[in-house]
Amino acid sequence: MSANPIKIKDKISMDSLSISLFTDLVEKVCVIVVIAYLLTRLKYFTEVLDGKLTIRNQLIMILIFGGISIYGSYSGVNIFGAIANVRDLGPMVAGLVGGPIVGLGAGLIGGLHRLTMGGFTCIPCSLSTILAGLFAGIIYLANKKRFIGIWGAVLFSILLETFHMILALILASPFAQALEVVEDLYIPMILANAVGMFIFAFMITNLIKERATKKERDKLSAQLERRKKEMEIAQQIQESFLPHTIPFIENYDLAASSIPAQEVGGDFYDFIPISSEQTGLTIGDVSGKGIPAALFMAFSRTLLRAKACRNPGVGRMIESVNNFINEEPHSNMFVTLFYSILDSSRNKLTFVNAGHNPPLLLRNENGEIVRLSTGGVVLGAMKGLKMEEKTIDMSPQDLLVLYTDGVTEAINQQEDQFGEERLIKLIKDNRDMPSEDMKNLIIDTVYDFASGTPQADDITIMVLRRVM
Amino acid sequence: MEITEKTINDVEIVFLNGRLDAYNSNLVENKLDELIDSGKIKMVADLSGVEYISSSGLRVMLSSLKKLNKLGGTLKLSSLQPYVMEVFEIAGFTQLFQIYDSEDGAVASF
Repeated sequence: MSANPIKIKDKISMDSLSISLFTDLVEKVCVIVVIAYLLTRLKYFTEVLDGKLTIRNQLIMILIFGGISIYGSYSGVNIFGAIANVRDLGPMVAGLVGGPIVGLGAGLIGGLHRLTMGGFTCIPCSLSTILAGLFAGIIYLANKKRFIGIWGAVLFSILLETFHMILALILASPFAQALEVVEDLYIPMILANAVGMFIFAFMITNLIKERATKKERDKLSAQLERRKKEMEIAQQIQESFLPHTIPFIENYDLAASSIPAQEVGGDFYDFIPISSEQTGLTIGDVSGKGIPAALFMAFSRTLLRAKACRNPGVGRMIESVNNFINEEPHSNMFVTLFYSILDSSRNKLTFVNAGHNPPLLLRNENGEIVRLSTGGVVLGAMKGLKMEEKTIDMSPQDLLVLYTDGVTEAINQQEDQFGEERLIKLIKDNRDMPSEDMKNLIIDTVYDFASGTPQADDITIMVLRRVM
Repeated sequence: MEITEKTINDVEIVFLNGRLDAYNSNLVENKLDELIDSGKIKMVADLSGVEYISSSGLRVMLSSLKKLNKLGGTLKLSSLQPYVMEVFEIAGFTQLFQIYDSEDGAVASF
């Protein structure tokens, strides 16, 4: 015996029916997704979401969500044999996002349109749509004019559809017929609206996050602009602390430059006029870079200048500078310093080297390099340290190069350092060059060496040659 | 920059590994402050793994030395690589720190 052919035919047509119902459902959901997405790309919608309500954008939202509500009336979906629709969805979203006026406006459009369609559930359905917008708007106000989030919105839609069903039971007659309809429809209605609301709420939440990120980025961008401006001003101030001219010293050829790594740096050099025959030549480097180093540099350089003119002695003077620095808290910053007094009539150089790269003296007589070091500790390390001083003679055509570690510690792409040896070789190979040219040659050579890598540290160079 | 530590008797030995430049100096300073705050006042910094030190690195060493001295302890150094030793010599830091060839020597001296 074969199975009842009628039953099989029914079963086949039922299956194809449920497939087409399913695809119909998917299509309708896609329409909602597209509408929701397009909405989040609309300027008026983002304005409303940001809380900038104007007559114009509220009106536009009312019309759009009213339209979505009308679409809901026409686009019912067959779920479990009953036609569920999402008419209430438009006004619900409108109220949750734009407040009671927008919600009510959209609800009135959708609700009044529903009245024109007639049917025995006409009054409860229209009323529900209108009230959906109003209730959503009240929730918006109660939540301090913020969107209540995905799960709050979905819960609200479930509660509202339940309310819709109850309204139908109360207002539609005859009661028995209403009960039948509600029994069939209540789960499909809740499902359809919950899913629709989930889609909208998800898109809205994403949009809110997107706008929060943009706001944060704009704020940081403005901060960055301000900082840049501050740095520019700091650079101008610091430039005023470096010598603007090279002093004329009888029988001596002098040149100097300083190039900071960031906008402001910790290197400095100075020429201090002490008397007609004596000039202070200083070069120094503050630990660190950027604004803290620049501030400490300005302080150190000023202190040095002030003391130099009153104290012709070298060792004692630097000791008192060191003690002065250590009096005040200075974040453990320290400054390396080579301080010297050139007596151009006696051709003597008296100096103290407090932790600085030893300047290189090329003796014309034998072509040998002497490193000018006195074993002093950096300034700012500790109070009461002794600073030994030394004096050397400058003979005709002797060449002195003072520099900071931005020169010797410049690195190339292979991470080799320029180093003192390269500098010594460069000086020896070009021993007859005028001071200005020698200085520029050193700078160019260091830059060529480090080509490609950014300048890591301030570069400062001073060149002094006794002419005759 | 990797930092590891070891305690022998009541001396804390901190091993630094990497470049002590402006960027890493913060990390090292925080670590040393942490140890100091937890009561370690006898410290040895072993620099066998440090091939480069900048002025920021020197500053951190000096700062820690001063903090420990104030608390009645001190910071000693061990196993400096030649380049780093030279930097210390030029800056005069060899007059401020006790420097040993190995961590054992440093620990024994306490």
